[in-house]
Amino acid sequence: MPKLTINGREVEVPAGTNLIEAARALGVEVPHYCYHPGLSIAGQCRLCMVDIEKTPRPTIACNTLAADGMVVLTETERVKETRRSIMEFHLINHPLDCPVCDQAGECWLQIYYMRHGLYDPRMTDEKVHKPKAVPLGPHVILDAERCILCSRCVRFCDEVTGTGELGIFHRGDQSEIGLFPGQELANKYSANVVDICPVGALTERDFRFAVRVWYLDVTKSVCPGCARGCNVEVHVNRRRPHHNEGRRVARLKPRFNADVNKWWICDAGRYGFKAVDDKTRLREPFRREAGTVTDASWDEAIAAVAGALERYAPDEVGVLASPRMANEDLFALRRVLERRGIRRVAFRVPPAVDGDQDEILIRADKNPNARGAELLGLDGDAAALLAAARARQVKCLWIFDHDLLASAWPEALVLGALGAVETLVWVGANANATSERAHWVLPAAAWVEREGTYTNFEGRVQRLRQAVEPLGQALPEWEILGRVLEALGAGARPPRAERWFRELAAATPAFAGLSYQAIGDGGQMVRA
Amino acid sequence: MSSHARVPSAAHAGLASPAQVTFSPAQLAEVRRLQGLYPDPRAALLPVLHMAQDTFGYVSLEVEEYVAGLFALSPAHVHEVVTFYTLYFQTPKGRHVVAVCHNLSCHLAGARAIIDHLEARLGVTVGETTDDGRVTLQSVECLCACEHAPMMQVDERYEFDLTPEKVDRILERLR
Repeated sequence: MPKLTINGREVEVPAGTNLIEAARALGVEVPHYCYHPGLSIAGQCRLCMVDIEKTPRPTIACNTLAADGMVVLTETERVKETRRSIMEFHLINHPLDCPVCDQAGECWLQIYYMRHGLYDPRMTDEKVHKPKAVPLGPHVILDAERCILCSRCVRFCDEVTGTGELGIFHRGDQSEIGLFPGQELANKYSANVVDICPVGALTERDFRFAVRVWYLDVTKSVCPGCARGCNVEVHVNRRRPHHNEGRRVARLKPRFNADVNKWWICDAGRYGFKAVDDKTRLREPFRREAGTVTDASWDEAIAAVAGALERYAPDEVGVLASPRMANEDLFALRRVLERRGIRRVAFRVPPAVDGDQDEILIRADKNPNARGAELLGLDGDAAALLAAARARQVKCLWIFDHDLLASAWPEALVLGALGAVETLVWVGANANATSERAHWVLPAAAWVEREGTYTNFEGRVQRLRQAVEPLGQALPEWEILGRVLEALGAGARPPRAERWFRELAAATPAFAGLSYQAIGDGGQMVRA
Repeated sequence: MSSHARVPSAAHAGLASPAQVTFSPAQLAEVRRLQGLYPDPRAALLPVLHMAQDTFGYVSLEVEEYVAGLFALSPAHVHEVVTFYTLYFQTPKGRHVVAVCHNLSCHLAGARAIIDHLEARLGVTVGETTDDGRVTLQSVECLCACEHAPMMQVDERYEFDLTPEKVDRILERLR
């Protein structure tokens, strides 16, 4: 392991570490545009120049590996002057249209100009003009005038997705990023190029002009879109509710996790948050009798559900849990089942179309917590449960989240089962065709409105955190189930998700020793 | 991941169909020979693109895609190379290419007047091809013959110490 000195401080780094990362290990930031730890080295932007003792002139830090005895200085007058000059070059043809640019507030041209530029511009000639507002694909839009040609997006498409859609065409000050004529930037990870674009050249069509980034609040969470459990940030617009047409969640951004998703997320996951603020959200509990819908209080709804569980024999009750529920919810449900001795339980409903899967991140299982439901012992034969309902052996059917009418099961079989049961209880965040046939509908908090954990397909337990308040009277499932338990006479319920998790970890060998604190931001593996 | 799905574009209209864009077996052997000359076969792109231009007349998008296939590259990366260099023609060129140097020495020695004269005689502006497809006129950077400024390149031949009269005689020879 080479040991070197950076700005007078010694640091030892693994062999093969470049000077940007070596400096980062000491908390020293070397400014850069083209370098990205997830991509190959381009050496294109020239901004990461540092002085190295015994070398005649500043050297780019991204393409220089740390060596034993190396003495690096990142803040000499010569380095500062070099950075200033390079910033001036990068901005020579930049349109300086920050007031109408979505990147403003998170733009590395703005940030580095303030930190390392602050020169008086000397450019008096007309700037070079290039294509603006060019849609590259379904999610990404290009402003070529703002581009500094760092080539991160080109390298992403070459090296991460292997699709190679983008290139840098023409030469000199006419150079511009673009697609091969006739192609689209439509790979399944296309919007990641927006995240890695350090300037306003590539922006998101979905987020474009929605809300200024400085009004956004950031919460660390986990994508519920498939069994991978990519780490994300939920960006919420609370402070300007009149922007973004009242939608609270403005966008998702990937959050680095070396063991799960690195720096990336897929487009399906990134834009999967729309259900959180859409019109199908359920806000209040209600009952449906002979086609008439009546609002109910939570007390009435809980009493009705607990009453049904007590009224029917345990064998007459069937429960269809969901692999979209968090571990805490599933554990609370298990407590309810144990209390009443209910054995007819399952959670897997076959999807109407098989999910896509690839070698990068995307998993065929589009549920975030199937592994958790397995580990918590909720696996059963869902088709048999449906058949038992159709045969009127199950008289009370309790469904979480699923829309059985959008599954691979034939519609007639599902309708037969739903029509045969005496009491159909449905719990979930968004109404669907199945909830519209339920006698009791209980609104659940969406994944951004609550605390909890998912267990990904590899067995990694990861936390989702509350970014916004639940809509209307919606409650997390663990709270709904805790209230049902209380109504069944089980004593005081745990008041928070964390407490539910503590009970879960104490009662389930696979989760033994885990806690919210241990899980932290990066997750923890269950015991094999 | 998604393949390179092609959306028909206006740029493709009326160009040679992909079926016609194919090297002969001898040319393909030459491609393989060139690729073997370099540690990274991609370095052979330049000679292969010249070969393609000589064979197909110019480097159309179809040609770029064909060549990309020979190198297992995405067409975007071939397009990068073709748009970088001025000696690859992306549109049909004339039977002869007249490239006048407009760099410093030639400029001081009267290149502007030579270009004006060529434009007047050919009835085209720089970058255009005559209607009969005879001549494409270009103005280019230094061709490394300053001692004979003003000069130009006609196809593969340098023409030195130009005057309007000499230019006329040269044009006479181009058929």
